[in-house]
Amino acid sequence: MEMNEETSGSRKLRCDDTSKCFELLESILDGEMGDPGKEVLKEKLAKCQPCFEHFHLEQAIREVLKNKCTKQAVPKELAQSIREKLHDVK
Amino acid sequence: MSEVQRRKYSQVEKNSIFDGEFMPHIDSMYNFAYRLTFDEDDAKDLVQDTYLKAYRFINSFEQGTNAKAWLFRILKNSFINEYRKKSKQPAKVDYQEVETYYNSDDVDFQGTTDLRAESVKDMLGDEISNALNSLAVDFRTVIILCDLEGFTYEEMAKILDIPIGTVRSRLHRARNLLKEKLKGYAQHMGYDTEEEE
Repeated sequence: MEMNEETSGSRKLRCDDTSKCFELLESILDGEMGDPGKEVLKEKLAKCQPCFEHFHLEQAIREVLKNKCTKQAVPKELAQSIREKLHDVK
Repeated sequence: MSEVQRRKYSQVEKNSIFDGEFMPHIDSMYNFAYRLTFDEDDAKDLVQDTYLKAYRFINSFEQGTNAKAWLFRILKNSFINEYRKKSKQPAKVDYQEVETYYNSDDVDFQGTTDLRAESVKDMLGDEISNALNSLAVDFRTVIILCDLEGFTYEEMAKILDIPIGTVRSRLHRARNLLKEKLKGYAQHMGYDTEEEE
């Protein structure tokens, strides 16, 4: 079925340039595009299904990375050991 | 250390910078070191060496600038210069080779329907962690710096001594590779990754 891109309220099912769009979406998610980025994002999410899905996937990946890969327990003695070594070189 | 020495700090100032601006980053530093070396003892040594170097070169640190980025840069350089050599990891990956290889279009992540946000959210910490750890160190590093530590592209460019454009493209490629790994896990776990029926 051909999807009419102009249909209001629905997103086009094909993205014209996923490679470029996805890289742009990633930069926006990384906070590198500032306020203009927010506008571009709003438009892409409203109009393009692949961009919409990619954005949510990227967002989910960032969330799990941040929540699940930053909890490496720091050895208790490390800070103390650094201070001792430092004391020796001072 | 390539920075010019800007000024001399007094002993009191040095201690205050070290305790107030350097030590608070020890958790992030250890996490980074551990994800580079995959070994607790190596990570401890790497962090310790980094802090000792930071103290030794403290006069080249400008107060009020980003101490965390400064420390990460020292840690990254120490890792490349010392730890990579002796670690059990495969031989140093050639940057150029990696960039060229992954620059080809066919490795670009094909659409998003084959990996869903929902299946990523359901994954366990180990799976996410293993996927990240399985990436070549240069790709792993940009994801750690950006997604785990929240550095800006500009800060990453300084930490890694590469242009911002390279940060952006390497990050994009790293994320594509990570998604491929995650897709593998999702399929293995029987998540709905593709409409096969």
